[in-house]
Amino acid sequence: INPQHLQPVAAMLGRIASARRLMAGAASARVRAFSAPAAASAAASNKIEVFVDGNPVQCDPGMTVLQACALAGVEIPRFCYHERLSIAGNCRMCLVEVEKSIKPVASCAMPVMKGMRVKTDSPMTRKAREGVMEFLLVNHPLDCPICDQGGECDLQDQSMVFGSDRSRFTDNLHDGKRATIMTRCIHCTRCVRFASEVAGVEDLGTTGRGNDMQIGTYVEKLFRSELSGNVIDLCPVGALTSKPYSFTARPWELSRVESVDVMDALGSNITVSSRTNEVMRVIPRLHDGINEEWISDKTRFAYDGLKRQRLVAPMLRRSGNLTDSDWPDALHEVARRLSASRESPDQTAVLAGPFADAESLTALKDLVNAAQSELVCTEEAFPGCTDLRSAYLMNSRIAGVEDADLVLLVGTNPRYEAPVLNARLRKCWLHNELLVASFDLSYTYDHLGDSPETLLRLADGSHPFAKTLAAAKRPLVLLGSEALCRPDGRALHSAALQLSELLRQKMKAANPEEADWRVFNLLHRVASQVAALDLGYRAGPESIRAAKPRLLFLLGADAGLIKRTDLASDAYVVYIGSHGDNGAAIADAVLPGVAFTEKNATYVNTEGRAQQTRLAVSSPGAAREDWKIVRALSELAGAPLPYDNLNQVRARMAQIAPHLTRYDSVEEANYFSQCLQLAKSPGDAKLDAAPIRLSLMDLPDFYMTDAISRSSLTMAKCVQAASKPTKY
Amino acid sequence: MSSTGGTLIRQAVKEAKPVFSATSEDARRRVLNLYRAWFRQLPYIIREYDVPLTLPMCRRKLRENFEKYRQVNDIRVIDLLVAKGQMELVETAHMWKQKTHVMDYFKQTVSPKPTDFLGKFFDGKEP
Amino acid sequence: MMPLLDLAQRQHGGWLPISAMHCVADMLKVPRMRVYEVATFYTMYNRDPIGKYHVQICTTTPCMLGGCGSGPILDTCKRVLGLKPGQTDSERLFTLSEVECLGACVNAPMVQINDDYYEDLTPEDTEAILMALKRGEKPPKPGPQSGQDWRHCCEPKGSLTSLTEPPKGPGFKVLPEL
Repeated sequence: INPQHLQPVAAMLGRIASARRLMAGAASARVRAFSAPAAASAAASNKIEVFVDGNPVQCDPGMTVLQACALAGVEIPRFCYHERLSIAGNCRMCLVEVEKSIKPVASCAMPVMKGMRVKTDSPMTRKAREGVMEFLLVNHPLDCPICDQGGECDLQDQSMVFGSDRSRFTDNLHDGKRATIMTRCIHCTRCVRFASEVAGVEDLGTTGRGNDMQIGTYVEKLFRSELSGNVIDLCPVGALTSKPYSFTARPWELSRVESVDVMDALGSNITVSSRTNEVMRVIPRLHDGINEEWISDKTRFAYDGLKRQRLVAPMLRRSGNLTDSDWPDALHEVARRLSASRESPDQTAVLAGPFADAESLTALKDLVNAAQSELVCTEEAFPGCTDLRSAYLMNSRIAGVEDADLVLLVGTNPRYEAPVLNARLRKCWLHNELLVASFDLSYTYDHLGDSPETLLRLADGSHPFAKTLAAAKRPLVLLGSEALCRPDGRALHSAALQLSELLRQKMKAANPEEADWRVFNLLHRVASQVAALDLGYRAGPESIRAAKPRLLFLLGADAGLIKRTDLASDAYVVYIGSHGDNGAAIADAVLPGVAFTEKNATYVNTEGRAQQTRLAVSSPGAAREDWKIVRALSELAGAPLPYDNLNQVRARMAQIAPHLTRYDSVEEANYFSQCLQLAKSPGDAKLDAAPIRLSLMDLPDFYMTDAISRSSLTMAKCVQAASKPTKY
Repeated sequence: MSSTGGTLIRQAVKEAKPVFSATSEDARRRVLNLYRAWFRQLPYIIREYDVPLTLPMCRRKLRENFEKYRQVNDIRVIDLLVAKGQMELVETAHMWKQKTHVMDYFKQTVSPKPTDFLGKFFDGKEP
Repeated sequence: MMPLLDLAQRQHGGWLPISAMHCVADMLKVPRMRVYEVATFYTMYNRDPIGKYHVQICTTTPCMLGGCGSGPILDTCKRVLGLKPGQTDSERLFTLSEVECLGACVNAPMVQINDDYYEDLTPEDTEAILMALKRGEKPPKPGPQSGQDWRHCCEPKGSLTSLTEPPKGPGFKVLPEL
């Protein structure tokens, strides 16, 4: 067995692995790491030395043979093993020969032992792999031409590399009838494990046994989970495929662009696959700090909303109706109004919606500030003081949940507000015995009450749960932004900050080495909020209502918070956005902007991490990028903004808030006591005893929450399906 | 550029190796020969490439292209321009080009791209 | 979980409706899918309604060879009941199924009706049993029927072929070293 022979195999595996990350074992699999024996063995005393094809590898105890081989740079084929799910060991594809063992060993399940000699390319290993592949293919239908997974199918790839080149099978069972696509299932049970471990919905299982085993829900039941689309990525064959994407494209035709999702505030990393200027699908990218490998259903399937209800031409309202216009006319009209409203202060206002990117927020703010106005607001309310960032960020970071041992959820339902975060909470609940207190989630929790007064009682110790809270070594308080939309939001924010600060001081006193642990976290619901707050926007539209401006810019604001009656009677409303939703309906001028897949834009997620979306397809019709519209407007109004291209806008952004261009890095959060002082400023209302009511309580509420998902047919079907009462 | 640099340049020019022509008369002769060669090839170009233009139009375009470099005085530059023109002529005469390359000389439907922000904005989306 | 499912099946007259599986799931506080998995794994959990008398005939090798063979018995059942194996009749009185070895090989051929074994069968015996059940009468006593002259249980025809002498004490055929 020639080590040189391994090179092309390993290289091919490397290509396969890089093409579909789900096949990668340990995250460091792609690096060929031959540890120098002498130096390493001296350094790590509890590492076990294992020989993979003659090369020594130092592994941690408790690693499996598969992970040890991955450290050595050899990737072992597998179907049922997945690094984020429990080990099943039922596909038998990972069999390798271990010296002194008569039988080949399932490397995904066998823990390493000292001095083990693993041979991944011996005749026995090859025979085992070919045999397993042969068995899998015997019962697999000949669906490759019509199977969506063709081109990115684990079975295809592994049979090419590891399977036999000739078949011994004569098909005498084929009756000519086509069955469902579940005949393609190879019973790896990845979906079953995902459903029960990650999604928390125990509806998938293996019914029957042996050759007649079927994976499914057994009864006619919907896989009712907001993370259900991830089984599409998990399934190694084409048994579970994306229904909206089915029969539309082949993977080699698609060009992939790395981007970031804006449907919720987490900024899950995605890859937008497109072909001939049309988004064909959205699949997740690996990012251990945010979304691991999962994305929510809304992220995955709402892309068809990008093709419907789009604004494609500038429109002006003439005699009561919006009529098509063109850019010069529309811009001149708006510029005229802008020049007029520039005369007196506070006559121009901006209301930013959920998909506003940092570049357009900066440009609009500069425009409006030049027009003597400070009325830049976001739709989403945040009553606290936004001077210090730690008051409105998820300070312990999304990955920090993994280190916590108690999470207190206040006024948030992370299950539908940030499903991927919920998956992480669930993972920690499963593996680390995390205690959670609050609402209906995919794991058990202690429900402490509905009313915000519970917070006060927890703080002063009169609540029965306060003891558990005090005993926790690393508690986390997660406050939801929807709860802050109430009239007593400011008091609620302050109470939460108080409780967190109390816990933090207690913790610091108890274990001084935990001084870096941050307790207070805020979970936003929209992707634009943090960037807007960082740039100096005020949260909530009250100031606009109070000032009654004559010119209002709606930057994708579709929640309908400001109605025409709130404004002056001769007010002029300009809508800059991509979809014709509520905002465009009340506007006097509609300037079509682009959606997140059609621009290079910066979004900051709820941890304060700046990320950028990239241009995947070009926008329809005459739509232009939002900041460019603002820049053109400024030029026509006579006071051009000082930037002409994206780099200059980003330089301006960095001038205001430097972290906005430091992509993928999170600043350290601090100044908590100062936050508390600012939050406690006099004159704020008392806490209202009314129970906190959230809007996203059940699955049908989850699917259509913003302009893009409201325009999506797939989301509509999901709502319909999820609303049907289930018999089982 | 200091004056010493200027003298150096003048010296460099005086001492530069000629490309093809030693004097400006040689260069002029080359240019005119090239012009004549193109002029005489034009009818054949029109016929072989099925150019949808008349001969006077092509002659006008030829003159325009030569007039573009009227003010060039540097002999080496002239030589290189002639060499390029000669290469183009050879390619065109041998039918190594296609109609589209010949029509490129005319570029009738290409309007100059705007360079200012507003112009680019109205014109269309560019990345 | 399995005993509970078996009890539930008995309470429902021999079959297991989905609602019973849900009940068991709630009782044990496991997800319903786990109960479905167990119930579908084992063949003795009947998930479709079954007749009052579940006639299970063993058709494996020992029964094929013993006595008159399971073939004639199966034919008799099919004829008398008018059913094919696997079917239930329209009044939900009988279900006929072919099952694997029931462990009464000495008394082959045999059938199991609900929980009773009717062994040492002849076609006439089978007919008598089934007709009695059809008429609603009390069926004959379970156990060996006329096939081997109404023996008591599974004793050999002639004299004893084993246990003919007192049992050997401990240490019989044990190696001297131990």
